Amino acid sequence: MLLEIKDLCAGYGAAPVLHNVSLSVDSGETVSVLGANTAGKSTLLRSISGITPVRRGSIKFDGHELIDMNGKDIPKLGIGHVPEGRHVFPKMSVVDNLWMGAFCKRKDKKLAERMDGIMQMFPRLRERASQLAGTLSGGEQQMVAIGRALMSNPKLLLLDEPSHGLAPVVVDEVHEAIVRIAKSGVAVLLVEQNAALALQVASRGMVLQSGHAVLEGTAAELAANPDVRKAYLGI
Amino acid sequence: MKFKGVTLNARTAVYLCLAVAFLIPLGMDPDGYLLRIVSMVVLFAAMAQAWNIVGGLANQLSLGHAAFFGLGAYTSTLLFIRQGISPWAGMLAGGVVAAVAMLLLSIPLFRLRGHYFALATLAFAEVLKIIAIHFADLTEGPTGITIPYGEPSFANFQFESNTSYYVVIVALFAVVSLIFWKLSTGAMGFRLRAIRENEQAAEVSGIDTYRIKLGTSMVSAFTMGMCGTVYAQFTYFFDPESIFSMTGISVRVALICIIGGMGRLWGPLIGACILIPLDEIAVNTMSDVAGLGPFVTSVILIAAIIYEPRGLISAWERLRRRAQKKHAAQSGQAAGAV
Repeated sequence: MLLEIKDLCAGYGAAPVLHNVSLSVDSGETVSVLGANTAGKSTLLRSISGITPVRRGSIKFDGHELIDMNGKDIPKLGIGHVPEGRHVFPKMSVVDNLWMGAFCKRKDKKLAERMDGIMQMFPRLRERASQLAGTLSGGEQQMVAIGRALMSNPKLLLLDEPSHGLAPVVVDEVHEAIVRIAKSGVAVLLVEQNAALALQVASRGMVLQSGHAVLEGTAAELAANPDVRKAYLGI
Repeated sequence: MKFKGVTLNARTAVYLCLAVAFLIPLGMDPDGYLLRIVSMVVLFAAMAQAWNIVGGLANQLSLGHAAFFGLGAYTSTLLFIRQGISPWAGMLAGGVVAAVAMLLLSIPLFRLRGHYFALATLAFAEVLKIIAIHFADLTEGPTGITIPYGEPSFANFQFESNTSYYVVIVALFAVVSLIFWKLSTGAMGFRLRAIRENEQAAEVSGIDTYRIKLGTSMVSAFTMGMCGTVYAQFTYFFDPESIFSMTGISVRVALICIIGGMGRLWGPLIGACILIPLDEIAVNTMSDVAGLGPFVTSVILIAAIIYEPRGLISAWERLRRRAQKKHAAQSGQAAGAV
């Protein structure tokens, strides 16, 4: 297993958010986490990246125990995080934003090559390479954020609500990009409120409810589950 | 421009003019009023540069830098008067005390952002002022401290002529500016820029935002403490009200940066060149009518901020860009004519 989370409890100070959550992601696999707002989905991703202040349990990634690790050392191990809400550096150019993603690996010789690969995946970014990221559309900013995370050549990509607040056409575009990233061999842990999209992309999934893992299974199983259909797919 | 085979581009020309401008005061009357004002301008530029490290680079708006200024002044002065320790060593000690104060302050403070951070730093300086007033056994209380004027000597940080003080102050400005420049370029510059623009995105890019913010604010406090020592040695007298002053120090250094250009190397100098003489003129010419001086300066400053919200340095840059464009257009025309 590439990522193996066991009995993770996490939260902010006195407020616990996650309770004994266990989850695993294999190399190259795409796993989705479903759940309503405040279920703890973002906290789960932030705990893997080491930026939630309180963490207990075990998060094993590629032979490393992350639970006591400082957040600044985690991207180096091969985890790319695309935070919720399209966090780009607004006054840096698109290219500089991408470079920032490789900040922890700035001695790496293959960066130019990787940048080229990302520009191929998102041709729009090549057109706007020298434009300030803050002036891009929402979808383009999301591409910048995803591209930035890919610049560190991660083994695991954490995607937090990539389709949130985007126009339907753009959602499709982002969706396609995720499929391509997954096909290229990067493992993806996808958090989505758009459950239909999440279950299409993923092979397995988990449902979080108030910080508890209430349901787990293959994407097909989840999509067939009556509760999931009612609560998240609206069928 | 070509001069005896040496090509002089605009950039070096500006730096040369600046160097000459720094040399001019050396020829001024050592006991004159003018040299004193010029020294104050450069000293405030150094203080504003210290503020600029945390306010401009890390985007943590402090309204309490008088706290570190005062800690530096009190530390070196008390060490000098009570223990006979040279103010040069006291200056470093003062910097350390200020940096440690920032470290302790950061524990509650770094949970706050924006306005709340500014208010908390403001309160910190006010608290130190009250402490300095009440613990009179240590600090001489509200009457303040007068530094005894002994035999002028380098070791005592006491000089016969104001010209020497001016040189020390320029050196201080150079040191603080060098630190600022080092932090604003290279990998550290990118880290700080990332934090300034989007802290969350910086965090997931593997930047230790907490430690970088703490480090820069401690450097800022350290350099502000050094400025406090130089100020104390320059004026020979200070009291809690003036050294921990909100309007006289804390807000003033922030304002100098805002007027000149926050986060920019030359912003503090530009701001100080405007603000300090303006205050001085207002005091000298408009003191007959109570409140007229501050009123006039405030109006001018508000106008400056409305006219150039990102600091007067951007006005200069616009001029330069326009000149470049004109130049390019002209040479383009010339090429077309050929």
